[in-house]
Amino acid sequence: MPYEILPHTADVRIRVTASGLPSLFAEAARAMAAIMAPGCVPAPAVTREVTVEAEDLEGLLHDFLSELLYLFDAEGLLLCDCRVSLEGTRFLTATCRGEEFSREKHAGGAEIKGVSFSGLRIYKEGEDDVFEIIFDV
Amino acid sequence: MAGEVKRIGEYEWELPVDYRPGMRVPARFFLSEALRKDLESGALEQLANVATLPGIVRHSLAMPDIHWGYGFPIGGVAAFSVDSGIISPGGVGFDINCGVRLLSTPLRAAELSNRRELVERLFQVVPTGVGAKSDRRLSGKDLEEVMVRGAAWAVEHGYGVPRDLERCEEGGAMAGADPSAVSQKARQRGLPQSGTLGSGNHFLEIQEVKEIYDPAAAAAMGVAQGGVCVMIHCGSRGLGHQVCTDHLKALEAATRRYGISLPDRQLACAPVNSPEGKAYYGAMAASANYAWANRQMITDMTRKVLVKMFGIEYGEMPLIYDVAHNVAKMEEHLVDGKQVPLCVHRKGATRAFGPGSPGIPKECAAVGQPVIIPGSMGTSSFLLRGTALAMEKTFGSTCHGAGRVTSRTQAKKNMRGQQVQARLAQAGILVRAQSYESIAEEAPEVYKPSLEVVRVVDAVGISKLVARLEPMGVIKG
Repeated sequence: MPYEILPHTADVRIRVTASGLPSLFAEAARAMAAIMAPGCVPAPAVTREVTVEAEDLEGLLHDFLSELLYLFDAEGLLLCDCRVSLEGTRFLTATCRGEEFSREKHAGGAEIKGVSFSGLRIYKEGEDDVFEIIFDV
Repeated sequence: MAGEVKRIGEYEWELPVDYRPGMRVPARFFLSEALRKDLESGALEQLANVATLPGIVRHSLAMPDIHWGYGFPIGGVAAFSVDSGIISPGGVGFDINCGVRLLSTPLRAAELSNRRELVERLFQVVPTGVGAKSDRRLSGKDLEEVMVRGAAWAVEHGYGVPRDLERCEEGGAMAGADPSAVSQKARQRGLPQSGTLGSGNHFLEIQEVKEIYDPAAAAAMGVAQGGVCVMIHCGSRGLGHQVCTDHLKALEAATRRYGISLPDRQLACAPVNSPEGKAYYGAMAASANYAWANRQMITDMTRKVLVKMFGIEYGEMPLIYDVAHNVAKMEEHLVDGKQVPLCVHRKGATRAFGPGSPGIPKECAAVGQPVIIPGSMGTSSFLLRGTALAMEKTFGSTCHGAGRVTSRTQAKKNMRGQQVQARLAQAGILVRAQSYESIAEEAPEVYKPSLEVVRVVDAVGISKLVARLEPMGVIKG
């Protein structure tokens, strides 16, 4: 499983593992979509380009997920399949595919209010890149 | 290496100032022995983190519903000097002015024989759950006014009566709101969501007043034994969430600029009177006002259902009170014998102003501000009153709810939503939700017993029990 749920009583805390930062970011986006609205099947017709700039790698991941959350809330776009390219640790572009959110098709998720910096960590574990985060639900 | 937790009273505990390097003041929290076993080390760490922030006055505080959040602990209260202190979104949270209101009705519990139909109708008219959209989409101009005038905008547009405003904290609109500090993204998230409940622990509940502890205060507030009330718990929806996200980023840069060192990035902050601090305050107040309008619109939907089903008058359902439990406010408090202006952060904590304090309804001036403490789904909720002791000890603050003891994931592993729903129905509580998952996640046993939490604040004296309400029907996300 590319992400696992860690103990946290009030919110949703997860750990994502992947090989290489671009796929770590992509898996993080997939995990967030699965928590909010399970059952996303990406369709080529629903594609968005996302660009993010931040002060460091943690900030970049935080802002990337926050941007996807905004697109979900404001435009009803559930983006779960992203191809991410990083330029250093402060700039990112991603092509994200997904589908329009449907209350019937994607029922049973938890509304994520925000992506918290508390507990946000990116680190290496052997060959893998690992990322931990707390979503406020 | 963390120092010792000191017990300083039957229900009072302290982290001394040398508990951790960098603390500027001691931290204090209120817990009974029964609640202490659920105290997480992460929550204590966050309580100590708050004590390191510049300009903190007296203590970093936590109420008995303390638990591990992000930034401040949930149940956290801290006041900062307006001259030398900071303001931080980490002390408010993503759901700005998440809060609770209690509405009374002329109905008696025995009159609700068609309770199932009532729950169903409320569920049909109040949008709930992930991705819920409002039937009445605000225009850009409406939103601008909502952010400044809050519940007053809603009342003027037919979603209530003027008296409702007298029964809201801040009259349902905080001064100092600055819509220009609210981003386009936040507005876009907020536009389709006004008048929606949301998901998670948000709910609308039909309740019966089961027990009155303080008849004089209950009469002043307007609740009577056996009466039916409606409790509404929700916040500022995507607008507030985005304001928190946006300003956190701006304040991170400010934190570096002002040379503030932080133990947790979520505590990004700026001096209260800096341009960045003022911008956050203005945007936060605008979000708080949106939340008051939101609760007012849901109140209107509820009243209309009750009018139609029971033939009662719209005006026969007065608001008892509406409190915010995630907010930062400018207030004056007595510190070392002098009234000083402070920026009081309450993150999962409720204002509990004592008798005679400014800004409380005139009918309650002698008894203290009404304080509404929601239970979890299927357990008791409480009405309390603010006290003079709260003004002395906690900057006029008390607890906000029960506090979780089991994670959402564990809850779903342990229980099935259908079974929880059936069990509650046997106990006479009808639950209607968008998904069974959300029923399992919010089952009564995943929360601390609300009675124990309010028993502690009552025993300490930072608020006093007025009435107990029991759920009859619940709608959720």
